[in-house]
Amino acid sequence: MNPTNRTAAALPAPRYGRRLKWAQRRAAAAFLAPAFIFLAFVVVFPLGQAFVTSLYRIRGLRSSFVGFDNYVRTVTDEAFWSSLGTSLVFTASCVAAHLAIGLGLALLLNRVTVARTLFRIAFLMPWIIAPAIGATIFLWMLEPQFGVINYLLQSVGAISEPIAWLGRPWSALVSVILVDVWRGVPFMMLLMLAGLQTIPIELYEAARIDGATPLQQFRYITLPNLAYLMIVGTTLDIINTIRHFDIIAVMTGGGPVSATEVLPVLLYNTAFRANRLGEAATIGILLLGIVLAFSIVYIRAMRLDRDGGRD
Amino acid sequence: MTRSTLLTRTAFWLTLAVALVVFLFPIYWMVNTSLKPSEEIFLSPPTFYSVNWTFDAYFDVLANRPLFRYLINSFIVATGTTIVAVSLSALTAYGFTRFKIRFATAFIVFLIFTKMLPETLLIIPYFQLMSKLGLINTYLSLILAYSSFALPFAAWILIGFFRSIPTELDEAAMIDGASRLDIFLKVVLPLARPGLVAVAMFTFLLAWNAYVFALVLTTDADMFVISVGVANLVGEYQVEWNELMAAALVGAAPVLVIFSILNRHLVEAITAGALKG
Repeated sequence: MNPTNRTAAALPAPRYGRRLKWAQRRAAAAFLAPAFIFLAFVVVFPLGQAFVTSLYRIRGLRSSFVGFDNYVRTVTDEAFWSSLGTSLVFTASCVAAHLAIGLGLALLLNRVTVARTLFRIAFLMPWIIAPAIGATIFLWMLEPQFGVINYLLQSVGAISEPIAWLGRPWSALVSVILVDVWRGVPFMMLLMLAGLQTIPIELYEAARIDGATPLQQFRYITLPNLAYLMIVGTTLDIINTIRHFDIIAVMTGGGPVSATEVLPVLLYNTAFRANRLGEAATIGILLLGIVLAFSIVYIRAMRLDRDGGRD
Repeated sequence: MTRSTLLTRTAFWLTLAVALVVFLFPIYWMVNTSLKPSEEIFLSPPTFYSVNWTFDAYFDVLANRPLFRYLINSFIVATGTTIVAVSLSALTAYGFTRFKIRFATAFIVFLIFTKMLPETLLIIPYFQLMSKLGLINTYLSLILAYSSFALPFAAWILIGFFRSIPTELDEAAMIDGASRLDIFLKVVLPLARPGLVAVAMFTFLLAWNAYVFALVLTTDADMFVISVGVANLVGEYQVEWNELMAAALVGAAPVLVIFSILNRHLVEAITAGALKG
């Protein structure tokens, strides 16, 4: 409903209706155009350019049109599939941990009555620090000889000798996952905390009177009330994690032997180490496809596809 | 207090304390290492608190790397991005919530898609275009690149905030003869201030922390932003761990301080950004 129509009585009479409509349209366009023109330049045009690039084979200054050849080569390339697999392992582990730990922390924080803000700030800190900078802290902590993590693990007897965390495929992948978990939990925690605070406390009181155990309360009150947020938050987190680049780029650059080469890192290495912009753009377009698929889930979950997202 | 509630209480606080220690330990370790004298870094077992603490690492790293220059670069780029994103998205949010828009749904979906684009995909065309335009190593290239993700995000949150401002206020002002622009500037914007502040802060943080665009679009060491400047020290010859941690702290401290103080706005923007404004 057009807001100005509701007060039609107070505004110019109906016979000016048509002119008013035009004026309205012009005004609406004037407000919306700047951002749109800007986005056309900084998003739509570069995106188009990326697609065009994916149709070319580029070697140094020479480039030749090859149609969808890059796509054929990419999907028949084992490196792409192994990178996709790494991306899936990385994303699934990180998101699952973000959700589980984030929910756990939110449940704890929700019961804290003193210094809530202080706790919230403390837990938010890993998320505030730039991922590229946070990664450097972990590089030092994971350092094989003098790093504190090996020291702590050895002193509690969990490992008998120092581990070269980033030097071996499996432990490198585990390491970058742990760093991303550290960084990503606060975001999920905040979302879950926001959700918990909307659950009416009366529900819990009633359940307690009926003799529900804390576990039952969690199962039958907390979870159903959080379900929507969990779906939306998880989808968003999947999108953010599958395109994440910074931590892995700084910590391993994709190595050792491609063990941590998730799709964005493969893309970067293809473009700026191997200088194959065409193939890199192709990987990017395929990655975009994956992200878009999850975006559709997100849009559906939030019912944005109806009514322009209005409540 | 019965014994069982005492037990659950202890367990509760213990869990919280352990979680707190785990999440904050890396930050503590950064601070701790940055204050160690060089000889102490390679001690085994490592010292958890250095009695010989010193600012030497800070002086050393600042003498060799223009960290303050990086901070200024980051500040300029993040501020520029924030101004572009907030001003354009405020106009958009006003237009979107005050007029009947024919393709409202398409518009929202477009915003969401753009906000979710993988930035690594965009660095390729950005690298090509900025090289062609001779804009490599300029603030402008970074501000444009950062706006590509900051603007959709800001617009998305602000639409939510603007929706909560009743349109009756606009109508009243319109009857009094105010123009659309007057209403926008003098009626709606002041009312949207909490939202604008939250969005501005969030945009600033996104831009401050961004890495990959700056990694590709700057090659001149004087034009590095702080995230790239710090990460580039990794594995560099002659850079000791205490210096690296000092540099990391220099990069992290400004945002940690600002956002700890203004955390309420940040939290608001984060939840609004994930959900609907």
